[in-house]
Amino acid sequence: MYRERVVITGLGTVNALANNIVDFTHALQGGLCGIGPITLFDTADFRTHNGAEVKNFNPQDLIPPEFPLKRMSRADLMAFAATIEALSDACLFPLPDALREDTGVVIGAGSGGKLEGESFYRDYLESGGRNARFSKLASLCPAASADHITNHLGLMGPKTTFMTACSSGATAIGFARDLIERRAAAIVIAGGVEPLCRTTYASFNVLQAVDPEYCKPFDKKRQGLSLGEASAVVILESLHHARERGVSIHGEVLGYGISCDAYHMTTPDIKASGAARCIQAALADAGISAAAVDYINAHGTATPANDVMETRAVKNVFGAHAYRIPISSTKSMTGHTLGASGALEAIVSVLAIRQHFIPPTIHLHEYDPECDLDYVATGARQVTPDIVLSNSFAFGGNNTALILGRFAEKGIQNE
Amino acid sequence: MSRRVVVTGIGMVTPLGIGKERFAQALFQGDSGIGEITAFDTSRFPSHLGAEIRDFSPRDLISAKNLRRMDRLSQIAVASSRLALEDAEITINIANRDRIGIIMGTSFGPTDLKVHCARILFTEGPMMINPILVPNSVMNAPAGHASIELGFRGVNTTVNHQAASGETAIVYAAMEIERGAADIILAGGADIISEFLFETLVRFRALSPVNRGKEGARPFDAGRNGPVAGEGCGIVCLELMEHARERGATPYCEITGWGMSSSPATPTDWPADTRGATLAMMRALKSANCVPDGIDIIQAAANGGENPDRIEADAYLHLFKAEKTIPVISSIKGALGESFSSGGLRAAALALSIREGMIPPTLGLADPIAPLSFIIDKAKKIDIRNGLLNAFSYGGTNVSIAMRKVTIR
Repeated sequence: MYRERVVITGLGTVNALANNIVDFTHALQGGLCGIGPITLFDTADFRTHNGAEVKNFNPQDLIPPEFPLKRMSRADLMAFAATIEALSDACLFPLPDALREDTGVVIGAGSGGKLEGESFYRDYLESGGRNARFSKLASLCPAASADHITNHLGLMGPKTTFMTACSSGATAIGFARDLIERRAAAIVIAGGVEPLCRTTYASFNVLQAVDPEYCKPFDKKRQGLSLGEASAVVILESLHHARERGVSIHGEVLGYGISCDAYHMTTPDIKASGAARCIQAALADAGISAAAVDYINAHGTATPANDVMETRAVKNVFGAHAYRIPISSTKSMTGHTLGASGALEAIVSVLAIRQHFIPPTIHLHEYDPECDLDYVATGARQVTPDIVLSNSFAFGGNNTALILGRFAEKGIQNE
Repeated sequence: MSRRVVVTGIGMVTPLGIGKERFAQALFQGDSGIGEITAFDTSRFPSHLGAEIRDFSPRDLISAKNLRRMDRLSQIAVASSRLALEDAEITINIANRDRIGIIMGTSFGPTDLKVHCARILFTEGPMMINPILVPNSVMNAPAGHASIELGFRGVNTTVNHQAASGETAIVYAAMEIERGAADIILAGGADIISEFLFETLVRFRALSPVNRGKEGARPFDAGRNGPVAGEGCGIVCLELMEHARERGATPYCEITGWGMSSSPATPTDWPADTRGATLAMMRALKSANCVPDGIDIIQAAANGGENPDRIEADAYLHLFKAEKTIPVISSIKGALGESFSSGGLRAAALALSIREGMIPPTLGLADPIAPLSFIIDKAKKIDIRNGLLNAFSYGGTNVSIAMRKVTIR
């Protein structure tokens, strides 16, 4: 079967560091922290109070006035704002009519409209069901974000939503790649979205997985993750379509792999077999050797279990090369954006390739003895990565690894 | 050379019974799974009917050690997965476990559990949520539990897109096998009725009898007045044809192609026209290298909803208007209600139809809304070569899957 090469021609995001790609790039280069006190809801009754909240998010500033924003949840609005930015970046906004049938949407989601659903449910409980407006639930389903995108833009290509907790966004990009590769679509709006909400925040709190301060990936004193929120959207396109349009290419999706721990619902398999197998599957899919990888954007949640497991997985796959590859966890800046994180970190990886830098792991001061790789702890590094591996490991043992590369006409040449 | 994908096993937990034998018997006999809801009191609602799972004892199919960590949604998914593997005569071992996976679909996930957590959040406080429940509150929990209980470690993901979740999961599973990412993938969907989901559907005027008439599921019938809520899980075991042949398995059918499309619609509304539905079917036919004339049976999405059934019937009239023969159109939602992620169940029903050469009746249908070919009273025997499985969801998501009779060897 002939496979189309799939390239990235547009990027868009709303996250705790910035509400657009330019500011996001600067924040990553400067090693800024987006984690602080949560203001979206009252955290008085929670064990912790910090999170990586999106700031100064005014949808009407980011979304053109022709789109009615009624009945869209915070998640839908964040996803749509990022979509508009990504399409504009790809010179696809407004989208030509001729492309509507051939443009799809694949979103990795998490809580969807839960923040609004929670206020509904509080009213429901207080009034015994009488004064609650069920219309508030219209966008409760995580699929609503993709539905709003296709509805607003009049798209008729393939559409779906993945919900695999922390690996949703990465899987969405992988599936979108497959759709284009086999010509089920020429363009796919792919990404992830996750809003902060009370139930998610409570869930990680009762699991004691949240660092009360801010997350410190790979650090000896790490206590857990910092929950965050974000939307992250990439425009994927067949190489030949992008060439025909003469548009600038940000990078290429070289491969991806999915595996399952089949071990425990919330604890990663400490032997790191599942994580290693998805990385190996991604390398094989990309047709590259482990030695070709220049940078690893780690899952790096800063939970005690993940960081040791992930370090082990990298050593298992890369052998001696593991010590030479820069690795960083940008969750130290953006927080862990769960359903969005795989897509957000794919954007980070593309920015690293495009802007010639490796973003740092901030808040890492004292290495855990079991975490002894090069985590880029002292600020961004000016190098030129060509091939980046981005890891996402989720509850349920769902692992997805993405490999993104600098676009080269001839494709990747193995050394 | 392209890698072909076949269905080698089916497993299900449904209102018509647990497992293939009971399900097939009830389906072709024309039994209905619909009755008065027993799980909760419906007296405050205008709707009272549902297709509930009955006589399901998870202990028979799931180890106690893992069962005690599962909610009801995960239980039906894991039990169905085990049944599908057994039906396919596959034993998971160290040699094959990394090449076997699961792709699940769910539309609403564990709504019972999520509402319980929200209630604790607001009544007792956020730190009173039981941490044991947290892992089950994510949509991908059923697939995670299945992997732990059954021991397969390959591709594992969960689609969560309205009433097309199960069909999309099957499409993705076929794609993964085709591109070589796995040899065997269990694929399908699961949803359960909870009191809160039922109330929400009532308040969105999404259930029979929306405005008028007697409550009931009547797909494609002139007197239809909304769907009846259903629940259940159906899993099909998809396998690389070569792999099935090597181990001597007898496939039900082959997955020969698929098409996906969107239609403009808000998340809770139906599209205004047939374009998206037609596009998905045309894409499926094209990828299966099949002409509309070659289709013998369509496993339709129709559930008795006023707008969606009309649009679907119009799409068939449009697609087959120039053809000499039109396929028989069947909807099992007259017997099973609308269980949202019904793709796995309906794929299993179509696989059975193809293997048995038998089409189940569309219960509740007496006065068809369009001059199409329906099986009304009782199951009919016909030779089936090609079938289409269609999902047309609210929110404007369309998936069409082409399945073909296969004889390997």
